[in-house]
Amino acid sequence: MSIPVLICDDSSFARKQVQRALPKGWDVEVTFAGNGEEGLTAIRDGKGDVVFLDLTMPVMDGFQMLEVVKQEDLPAMVIVISGDIQPEAMERVKRLGALDFIKKPVDPDRLKQVLAEFGIYAE
Amino acid sequence: MSGEHLDEELRDVFQEITNVAMGRAADLLARLLNNYVVLPIPVVNLMERAELNMALTSLEEFESVSAVCQGFVGSRIAGEALLIFNDTSFQDIAELTNFAGDITPQIELELLMDIANILIGACLKGLAEQLDVSFSQGQPVILGQHLALNDLVSGKAGRWTRALTIEIPYRLEGRNVDCDLLLLFTEDSLKVLEDKVSFMLE
Repeated sequence: MSIPVLICDDSSFARKQVQRALPKGWDVEVTFAGNGEEGLTAIRDGKGDVVFLDLTMPVMDGFQMLEVVKQEDLPAMVIVISGDIQPEAMERVKRLGALDFIKKPVDPDRLKQVLAEFGIYAE
Repeated sequence: MSGEHLDEELRDVFQEITNVAMGRAADLLARLLNNYVVLPIPVVNLMERAELNMALTSLEEFESVSAVCQGFVGSRIAGEALLIFNDTSFQDIAELTNFAGDITPQIELELLMDIANILIGACLKGLAEQLDVSFSQGQPVILGQHLALNDLVSGKAGRWTRALTIEIPYRLEGRNVDCDLLLLFTEDSLKVLEDKVSFMLE
Protein backbone atom coordinates (compact mmCIF):
# COMPACT_ATOMS: atom_id res chain seq x y z
CA MET A 1 0.00 0.00 0.00
CA SER A 2 1.20 3.53 -0.78
CA ILE A 3 2.62 5.54 2.12
CA PRO A 4 0.64 8.75 2.83
CA VAL A 5 3.11 11.62 2.50
CA LEU A 6 2.25 15.21 3.37
CA ILE A 7 4.21 18.19 2.04
CA CYS A 8 3.44 21.27 4.12
CA ASP A 9 4.81 24.59 2.83
CA ASP A 10 3.20 27.94 2.03
CA SER A 11 5.03 28.18 -1.28
CA SER A 12 3.73 26.09 -4.17
CA PHE A 13 7.19 26.33 -5.76
CA ALA A 14 8.75 24.86 -2.61
CA ARG A 15 6.11 22.10 -2.44
CA LYS A 16 6.96 21.09 -6.01
CA GLN A 17 10.67 21.16 -5.23
CA VAL A 18 10.14 18.75 -2.36
CA GLN A 19 7.87 16.52 -4.43
CA ARG A 20 10.49 16.36 -7.19
CA ALA A 21 13.15 15.48 -4.61
CA LEU A 22 11.30 12.39 -3.39
CA PRO A 23 13.09 9.14 -4.34
CA LYS A 24 11.99 7.78 -7.72
CA GLY A 25 10.02 4.61 -7.32
CA TRP A 26 9.00 5.35 -3.72
CA ASP A 27 5.37 4.24 -3.52
CA VAL A 28 3.66 7.27 -1.97
CA GLU A 29 0.37 9.11 -2.02
CA VAL A 30 1.25 12.83 -1.79
CA THR A 31 -0.99 15.45 -0.18
CA PHE A 32 -0.18 19.18 -0.02
CA ALA A 33 -0.89 21.70 2.72
CA GLY A 34 -0.20 25.46 2.75
CA ASN A 35 0.14 26.01 6.48
CA GLY A 36 0.27 24.20 9.82
CA GLU A 37 -3.49 24.15 10.31
CA GLU A 38 -4.11 22.52 6.95
CA GLY A 39 -1.24 20.19 7.75
CA LEU A 40 -2.83 19.06 11.01
CA THR A 41 -6.14 18.42 9.28
CA ALA A 42 -4.39 16.23 6.72
CA ILE A 43 -2.52 14.30 9.40
CA ARG A 44 -5.75 13.68 11.35
CA ASP A 45 -7.27 12.42 8.10
CA GLY A 46 -4.49 9.85 7.87
CA LYS A 47 -2.77 11.63 4.97
CA GLY A 48 0.52 12.34 6.70
CA ASP A 49 2.34 9.27 7.99
CA VAL A 50 5.46 11.00 6.71
CA VAL A 51 5.45 14.81 6.78
CA PHE A 52 7.86 17.23 5.11
CA LEU A 53 7.36 20.46 7.00
CA ASP A 54 8.42 24.08 6.35
CA LEU A 55 8.84 26.39 9.36
CA THR A 56 8.06 29.91 8.15
CA MET A 57 4.37 29.87 7.21
CA PRO A 58 1.32 32.10 7.77
CA VAL A 59 -1.65 31.13 9.97
CA MET A 60 0.22 28.41 11.84
CA ASP A 61 3.96 27.99 11.43
CA GLY A 62 5.97 24.79 11.53
CA PHE A 63 7.04 25.16 15.17
CA GLN A 64 3.43 25.53 16.28
CA MET A 65 2.35 22.57 14.21
CA LEU A 66 5.08 20.38 15.69
CA GLU A 67 3.89 21.34 19.18
CA VAL A 68 0.37 20.12 18.41
CA VAL A 69 1.64 16.90 16.80
CA LYS A 70 3.67 16.27 19.95
CA GLN A 71 0.92 17.23 22.42
CA GLU A 72 -1.71 15.11 20.72
CA ASP A 73 0.77 12.38 19.90
CA LEU A 74 -0.40 12.34 16.29
CA PRO A 75 0.90 9.46 14.16
CA ALA A 76 3.26 11.46 11.94
CA MET A 77 6.98 11.20 11.30
CA VAL A 78 7.98 14.80 10.64
CA ILE A 79 11.06 15.88 8.72
CA VAL A 80 11.60 19.64 8.65
CA ILE A 81 12.71 21.25 5.38
CA SER A 82 13.45 24.91 6.00
CA GLY A 83 15.52 27.94 5.08
CA ASP A 84 15.88 28.73 8.78
CA ILE A 85 19.31 27.17 9.23
CA GLN A 86 20.11 28.68 12.63
CA PRO A 87 21.39 25.95 14.98
CA GLU A 88 18.74 27.13 17.44
CA ALA A 89 15.98 26.34 14.94
CA MET A 90 17.33 22.83 14.38
CA GLU A 91 17.55 22.16 18.12
CA ARG A 92 14.03 23.46 18.67
CA VAL A 93 12.42 21.28 16.02
CA LYS A 94 14.22 18.21 17.30
CA ARG A 95 13.07 18.96 20.84
CA LEU A 96 9.56 19.23 19.40
CA GLY A 97 9.85 15.75 17.99
CA ALA A 98 10.99 16.26 14.40
CA LEU A 99 13.09 13.35 13.15
CA ASP A 100 15.56 15.49 11.30
CA PHE A 101 16.24 18.79 9.59
CA ILE A 102 17.02 19.36 5.90
CA LYS A 103 18.06 22.80 4.70
CA LYS A 104 16.49 24.48 1.68
CA PRO A 105 16.82 24.27 -1.26
CA VAL A 106 16.26 20.57 -0.70
CA ASP A 107 18.93 18.17 -1.97
CA PRO A 108 17.41 14.86 -3.19
CA ASP A 109 20.42 12.83 -1.99
CA ARG A 110 20.20 14.31 1.49
CA LEU A 111 16.48 13.60 1.55
CA LYS A 112 17.04 9.98 0.54
CA GLN A 113 19.75 9.63 3.18
CA VAL A 114 17.45 10.90 5.93
CA LEU A 115 14.64 8.58 4.84
CA ALA A 116 17.04 5.64 4.84
CA GLU A 117 18.45 6.54 8.24
CA PHE A 118 15.01 6.30 9.82
CA GLY A 119 14.06 3.19 7.88
CA ILE A 120 11.29 5.01 6.03
CA TYR A 121 12.61 4.23 2.58
CA ALA A 122 15.25 1.81 1.33
CA GLU A 123 16.32 1.27 -2.27
CA MET B 1 5.34 40.94 -16.11
CA SER B 2 4.48 44.07 -18.06
CA GLY B 3 1.16 44.50 -16.29
CA GLU B 4 0.47 46.35 -13.08
CA HIS B 5 0.51 43.27 -10.94
CA LEU B 6 3.08 40.69 -10.28
CA ASP B 7 2.25 37.25 -11.58
CA GLU B 8 1.29 35.02 -8.65
CA GLU B 9 3.65 32.22 -9.65
CA LEU B 10 6.60 34.62 -9.94
CA ARG B 11 5.77 36.19 -6.61
CA ASP B 12 5.73 32.76 -5.05
CA VAL B 13 9.16 31.87 -6.45
CA PHE B 14 10.70 35.21 -5.41
CA GLN B 15 9.27 34.74 -1.96
CA GLU B 16 10.68 31.24 -1.68
CA ILE B 17 14.19 32.03 -2.90
CA THR B 18 14.21 35.07 -0.62
CA ASN B 19 13.20 32.79 2.22
CA VAL B 20 16.29 30.67 1.62
CA ALA B 21 18.62 33.67 1.18
CA MET B 22 17.37 35.52 4.25
CA GLY B 23 17.68 32.34 6.30
CA ARG B 24 21.40 32.23 5.57
CA ALA B 25 21.75 35.92 6.44
CA ALA B 26 19.82 35.40 9.67
CA ASP B 27 22.08 32.52 10.62
CA LEU B 28 25.13 34.79 10.35
CA LEU B 29 23.42 37.54 12.35
CA ALA B 30 22.34 35.06 15.01
CA ARG B 31 25.94 33.88 15.36
CA LEU B 32 27.23 37.46 15.64
CA LEU B 33 24.69 38.48 18.27
CA ASN B 34 24.22 35.10 19.88
CA ASN B 35 20.48 35.59 19.72
CA TYR B 36 17.81 33.76 17.73
CA VAL B 37 16.53 35.71 14.75
CA VAL B 38 12.84 35.31 14.03
CA LEU B 39 12.38 34.77 10.31
CA PRO B 40 9.49 36.64 8.74
CA ILE B 41 7.60 35.84 5.57
CA PRO B 42 9.16 38.13 2.97
CA VAL B 43 6.81 40.52 1.19
CA VAL B 44 7.23 40.72 -2.58
CA ASN B 45 5.59 43.49 -4.60
CA LEU B 46 5.75 45.51 -7.74
CA MET B 47 5.74 49.10 -6.62
CA GLU B 48 5.73 52.71 -7.72
CA ARG B 49 8.12 54.99 -5.95
CA ALA B 50 5.28 56.91 -4.37
CA GLU B 51 4.15 53.70 -2.69
CA LEU B 52 7.52 52.90 -1.17
CA ASN B 53 6.50 53.97 2.31
CA MET B 54 3.81 51.31 2.17
CA ALA B 55 6.48 48.70 1.50
CA LEU B 56 7.91 49.35 4.91
CA THR B 57 5.09 47.71 6.74
CA SER B 58 6.95 46.80 9.87
CA LEU B 59 8.07 50.33 10.71
CA GLU B 60 5.89 53.21 11.78
CA GLU B 61 5.81 56.29 9.61
CA PHE B 62 7.08 58.70 12.19
CA GLU B 63 9.58 56.51 13.94
CA SER B 64 13.14 57.68 14.13
CA VAL B 65 15.29 55.48 11.93
CA SER B 66 18.80 55.13 10.58
CA ALA B 67 19.53 53.62 7.22
CA VAL B 68 22.19 52.36 4.88
CA CYS B 69 21.82 51.65 1.20
CA GLN B 70 24.01 49.68 -1.13
CA GLY B 71 23.68 49.27 -4.88
CA PHE B 72 24.27 46.01 -6.66
CA VAL B 73 24.56 45.07 -10.30
CA GLY B 74 25.38 42.03 -12.39
CA SER B 75 24.05 39.69 -15.07
CA ARG B 76 21.86 42.52 -16.44
CA ILE B 77 20.14 42.89 -13.07
CA ALA B 78 20.47 46.04 -10.99
CA GLY B 79 19.05 47.20 -7.74
CA GLU B 80 19.53 48.64 -4.31
CA ALA B 81 19.47 47.15 -0.88
CA LEU B 82 18.19 49.34 1.92
CA LEU B 83 18.68 48.44 5.55
CA ILE B 84 16.58 50.49 7.93
CA PHE B 85 16.89 50.35 11.69
CA ASN B 86 14.52 51.66 14.25
CA ASP B 87 16.81 53.85 16.42
CA THR B 88 15.51 52.21 19.58
CA SER B 89 17.24 49.02 18.40
CA PHE B 90 20.79 50.18 19.06
CA GLN B 91 20.67 49.82 22.84
CA ASP B 92 19.89 46.11 22.53
CA ILE B 93 22.37 45.53 19.73
CA ALA B 94 25.11 47.18 21.77
CA GLU B 95 24.27 44.90 24.70
CA LEU B 96 24.33 41.82 22.50
CA THR B 97 27.71 42.73 21.08
CA ASN B 98 28.99 43.35 24.62
CA PHE B 99 29.64 46.98 23.93
CA ALA B 100 29.93 48.73 27.27
CA GLY B 101 30.55 52.43 26.57
CA ASP B 102 28.21 55.26 25.62
CA ILE B 103 26.22 54.68 22.48
CA THR B 104 27.21 57.71 20.47
CA PRO B 105 25.99 58.33 16.93
CA GLN B 106 29.43 57.13 15.80
CA ILE B 107 28.97 53.80 17.60
CA GLU B 108 25.48 53.46 16.16
CA LEU B 109 26.95 54.00 12.74
CA GLU B 110 29.49 51.24 13.26
CA LEU B 111 26.85 48.80 14.45
CA LEU B 112 24.62 49.75 11.54
CA MET B 113 27.43 49.19 9.04
CA ASP B 114 28.47 45.88 10.58
CA ILE B 115 24.96 44.49 10.41
CA ALA B 116 24.33 45.93 6.95
CA ASN B 117 27.45 44.18 5.66
CA ILE B 118 26.31 40.85 7.03
CA LEU B 119 22.64 40.97 6.07
CA ILE B 120 22.92 42.62 2.66
CA GLY B 121 25.95 40.58 1.62
CA ALA B 122 24.52 37.22 2.63
CA CYS B 123 21.07 37.92 1.22
CA LEU B 124 22.36 39.02 -2.16
CA LYS B 125 24.75 36.08 -2.31
CA GLY B 126 21.95 33.66 -1.48
CA LEU B 127 19.67 35.12 -4.14
CA ALA B 128 22.43 35.21 -6.75
CA GLU B 129 23.37 31.58 -6.13
CA GLN B 130 19.83 30.37 -6.60
CA LEU B 131 19.24 32.50 -9.69
CA ASP B 132 22.59 31.45 -11.07
CA VAL B 133 23.80 35.03 -11.51
CA SER B 134 26.45 37.10 -9.79
CA PHE B 135 26.18 40.56 -8.30
CA SER B 136 28.88 43.08 -7.52
CA GLN B 137 28.08 45.35 -4.64
CA GLY B 138 28.84 49.06 -4.54
CA GLN B 139 30.04 50.93 -1.49
CA PRO B 140 27.46 51.17 1.27
CA VAL B 141 26.11 54.69 1.73
CA ILE B 142 24.63 56.10 4.90
CA LEU B 143 21.24 57.53 4.03
CA GLY B 144 20.93 59.16 7.38
CA GLN B 145 20.71 58.75 11.11
CA HIS B 146 17.80 59.69 13.32
CA LEU B 147 15.48 60.51 10.47
CA ALA B 148 11.73 60.22 10.37
CA LEU B 149 10.94 57.27 8.15
CA ASN B 150 8.82 59.52 5.92
CA ASP B 151 11.77 61.82 5.23
CA LEU B 152 13.99 58.89 4.44
CA VAL B 153 11.58 57.44 1.94
CA SER B 154 10.74 60.67 0.17
CA GLY B 155 14.33 61.89 0.21
CA LYS B 156 17.21 59.91 -1.05
CA ALA B 157 16.27 56.42 -2.01
CA GLY B 158 17.68 56.45 -5.53
CA ARG B 159 16.44 57.51 -8.95
CA TRP B 160 13.82 55.02 -9.87
CA THR B 161 10.12 55.10 -10.59
CA ARG B 162 8.93 51.51 -10.42
CA ALA B 163 10.58 48.49 -8.89
CA LEU B 164 10.23 44.96 -7.69
CA THR B 165 10.46 45.23 -3.93
CA ILE B 166 11.24 42.50 -1.44
CA GLU B 167 10.79 43.43 2.20
CA ILE B 168 12.35 41.34 4.93
CA PRO B 169 11.42 42.52 8.42
CA TYR B 170 13.89 40.84 10.76
CA ARG B 171 13.24 40.66 14.48
CA LEU B 172 15.48 39.42 17.28
CA GLU B 173 13.68 37.10 19.64
CA GLY B 174 13.16 38.57 23.10
CA ARG B 175 14.76 41.86 22.06
CA ASN B 176 13.55 45.25 21.04
CA VAL B 177 15.24 45.23 17.65
CA ASP B 178 13.39 46.08 14.45
CA CYS B 179 15.22 46.14 11.22
CA ASP B 180 13.89 46.07 7.73
CA LEU B 181 15.88 44.91 4.77
CA LEU B 182 14.36 46.16 1.55
CA LEU B 183 15.63 44.95 -1.80
CA LEU B 184 14.66 46.99 -4.84
CA PHE B 185 15.16 45.65 -8.34
CA THR B 186 14.91 48.12 -11.24
CA GLU B 187 12.14 47.78 -13.76
CA ASP B 188 14.69 46.84 -16.45
CA SER B 189 15.83 43.89 -14.34
CA LEU B 190 12.41 42.33 -14.21
CA LYS B 191 12.58 40.64 -17.60
CA VAL B 192 15.92 39.05 -16.75
CA LEU B 193 14.67 37.92 -13.36
CA GLU B 194 11.59 36.49 -14.99
CA ASP B 195 13.74 34.46 -17.42
CA LYS B 196 15.94 33.16 -14.61
CA VAL B 197 12.94 32.16 -12.56
CA SER B 198 11.25 30.40 -15.46
CA PHE B 199 14.25 28.05 -15.61
CA MET B 200 13.64 27.15 -12.00
CA LEU B 201 9.98 26.42 -12.71
CA GLU B 202 10.73 23.90 -15.45
